[in-house]
Amino acid sequence: MEERREKNEKKVSRILYIQTSGVDTPERLYAPFILAMTAKAMDIEASIFFMIKGITPLRQGVAEGIKIGNFPSLKEVMDQAVKAGVKLYACAQSCELLNMPKTDLVEYVTVAGAATVNDLVLDADATLCF
Amino acid sequence: MQIELDLRGLYCPMPVLRTREEVAKANIGDLIIVIADDPAAEEDLKRWAKRAGHEVVNVKREGDAVSVSIKKLV
Repeated sequence: MEERREKNEKKVSRILYIQTSGVDTPERLYAPFILAMTAKAMDIEASIFFMIKGITPLRQGVAEGIKIGNFPSLKEVMDQAVKAGVKLYACAQSCELLNMPKTDLVEYVTVAGAATVNDLVLDADATLCF
Repeated sequence: MQIELDLRGLYCPMPVLRTREEVAKANIGDLIIVIADDPAAEEDLKRWAKRAGHEVVNVKREGDAVSVSIKKLV
């Protein structure tokens, strides 16, 4: 079963981006979305896992107010990434810690935990941490 | 055999760890029905079960809780 799983999943490359930076460092928030969107354009599966302070831009209404340099707002970039097929995950324990219940998050995020992070890392061909 | 495991009130990673313990004690073919209200439980349990070689036969949302039925295969 494990062999078959590996064989099936090796057909497509996968990159996992882990975002631990939050709204206090807006210059660090764009890269995972831009890279993941580009990965999708390269036929690479891309997921972003947000944890610790990394979940803070996922609160509804927050990303709209973040904009740096000539980039569009973070919300626009986030929406484009999701439209391109990038999957977003938020750490449940971080949400609990920072008092951000699921209902406060942007609607396209999947809340997940430790088993999911480990699984995504093992399934990915590469993991990048921000 | 069908085993019900109520893990409401436990948070990540406890639902996965407690499920693993219970599945280890069960016999092959048994159905373990896990009920949890940790928002991470559904995604985590599905991924844990797949990686551990078991089958998720049903996932049902019940208000804030989720019920994940896992068939022990190995």
